[in-house]
Amino acid sequence: MRKAFILVLVLLSSACGRQETKLHDTQLLVMGTLVNVSIWDGDDDVAAVATAGVEQRLREMHRDLHAWQPGPLTRVNEALAAGKSAPVSEEAAMLIRRGSELSRQSGGLFNPAIGDLIALWGFHNDDGPHGPPPDAASVRALLAKAPAMSDLHIEDGSLRSENPAVQLDFGGFAKGYAVDEAVRILREHHLNNAIVNAGGDLRAVGRHGDRPWRIGIRDPRGPGVIASVEVEGDESVFTSGDYERYFEYEGKRYHHIIDPRSGFPAVGSSSVTTISKEAIVADASATALFVAGPDAWVRTAKAMGIDQAMLIDDKGKVYMTPAMAKRIHFEVDPPPPIEVVAP
Amino acid sequence: MNPTEPSEASSPIIVMTTRDDHRIAWLAALAIVIHVAEAAIPSPMPGVKPGLANVITVAVFIEFGWRTAAWVSLLRVLVGSLVIGSFLTPGFALSLTGAAVSVAVLGLIRLWPGPSLSPLGVCMLSSLSHMAGQFSAAYLLFIPHPGMLTLLPVLMTLAAVFGLVSGVITSLLLASLHGRVANSE
Amino acid sequence: MTASAIPYRSIAGALRPTPGDIAVALLTVVLLVGLYLHFWSGVGGEGERARIVSADNGVQIVPLNEDRTLTLHGPLGDSVIEIHDGRIRFIESPCQGKQCIHAGWLHSAGSFAACLPNRISITVLGRNRHFDSINY
Repeated sequence: MRKAFILVLVLLSSACGRQETKLHDTQLLVMGTLVNVSIWDGDDDVAAVATAGVEQRLREMHRDLHAWQPGPLTRVNEALAAGKSAPVSEEAAMLIRRGSELSRQSGGLFNPAIGDLIALWGFHNDDGPHGPPPDAASVRALLAKAPAMSDLHIEDGSLRSENPAVQLDFGGFAKGYAVDEAVRILREHHLNNAIVNAGGDLRAVGRHGDRPWRIGIRDPRGPGVIASVEVEGDESVFTSGDYERYFEYEGKRYHHIIDPRSGFPAVGSSSVTTISKEAIVADASATALFVAGPDAWVRTAKAMGIDQAMLIDDKGKVYMTPAMAKRIHFEVDPPPPIEVVAP
Repeated sequence: MNPTEPSEASSPIIVMTTRDDHRIAWLAALAIVIHVAEAAIPSPMPGVKPGLANVITVAVFIEFGWRTAAWVSLLRVLVGSLVIGSFLTPGFALSLTGAAVSVAVLGLIRLWPGPSLSPLGVCMLSSLSHMAGQFSAAYLLFIPHPGMLTLLPVLMTLAAVFGLVSGVITSLLLASLHGRVANSE
Repeated sequence: MTASAIPYRSIAGALRPTPGDIAVALLTVVLLVGLYLHFWSGVGGEGERARIVSADNGVQIVPLNEDRTLTLHGPLGDSVIEIHDGRIRFIESPCQGKQCIHAGWLHSAGSFAACLPNRISITVLGRNRHFDSINY
């Protein structure tokens, strides 16, 4: 009996006890989105300096890699369209190589060469597109030119394309690269417990004190969180959803993830979440698996070396790999229909 | 006054009762009367009562020890709630937790080896712990809304004020009791 | 310890505090001051605030115990956020899906709603955040 009383007192005192917060949480408004840098257990000054370093780096990348605001990448695209070769920075060259590799692995479902198609749909616009959708003939005309990353060649810092229809748009993996860069900068400052979340896509390293980081995954069709995963060590969690950017026209919804095969918004998926170490890989693969859809996502995941992935189809059914099923925890009651598919 | 009279008159079952039982029954009855009377006083906030029944619990604790005080307190909450009609309601759960925590603290006071406390100190601790217990029950069981926590400092302040008042009353009560006992000897 | 340990000689003497009483009084004062500092310091206390992040207005922390309506400007236009009774929600938004409005009232720590097209997000803050980061 007395033990029970003491328990009540302990409960009460722990309810009153102040918990030291060791979390440095900073919001940055860069790259046209909200970037959240959370650092656990770092020195105040180091955290501030590192976060400022991240902000500066992301601003540079935004300037250099922007697909439509005039800058280095638009100049490269102009040259490619004119059939000329263009000098590229080491960083741009590296991104083009990685983008080509990821595009090849995905069987072309992830294709950063279709900038013209994205522009045709009106997604090269900060305010988001307003419709109407482009007519099927102009979409077909662009598809016929078959722009692909394999058309590109880099020699001595100079980029040329066999196909003048190639227009680079790093939208499918620039965010991943930016998150990787941010984490690299934090680590240079010996901050080894942190999350960088850029507009909902994140890489988490280390732990939140004595527990792993807890990540909530947004429900594509409802408010709040559908599931959660615990992350520790070094992993990136990326989600591509049809709710992120879209427009409605005459009652039909057109989202921003364009299927390079059809030239129209990919059908069948409402969101795809992938987990891998590098954010750039998680970002590109989330896009590729979304385009692949409920029937082909497993093959694409395997080809891209992704063993943890979840796809929610347009009817709310959840598909996932066994490795994802093992660690994910559904936060909705009742849980949605789930099918585990081995790659 | 014959203390055996009520039980014989009201019940055909003959129960062997000790002097302790009678003492507990009478003191609990007194506490219950105060408990019920207090329930009739309009309160600005639920859970805020002068806690005059505390006077009886603390006086019993000092005069007759912790065991008797625990019984009186428990009986007060049980029977008092039956009389008011709040048995097994949230209000009852709050009263019971408050009483339980307060009795537990009295137990700790009994075990405390440091300087002794007068009824003032005992009532203060008893009142604060009663409120703390009641509040944690309310927060943990019924309304785990963070907004509740902002009420806690105010409630505890009121508990301290009422603890002081009941401490003064208990001190005077005990002193006059002892005075009368001394005079009659 | 029973009655015999505590002497009562007179009514006046009965109200004289013992050293133990004084210790209790001091502890009570410390407790109360601590409670006020802990639960009343800062605006609204823990779990009673929300962080609103918007591309145009930056980051702001708002208390949820003051009822009010905020209008925030985003790339698409004005989003209106209402705070009432310790809760917060989107009530107007220029976006097309209105997912932010359908998210409804948010009150528990870690709850989250966002209008991505208009680049505005709301997160309810609290001591025990359920999630460290939200993936969307």
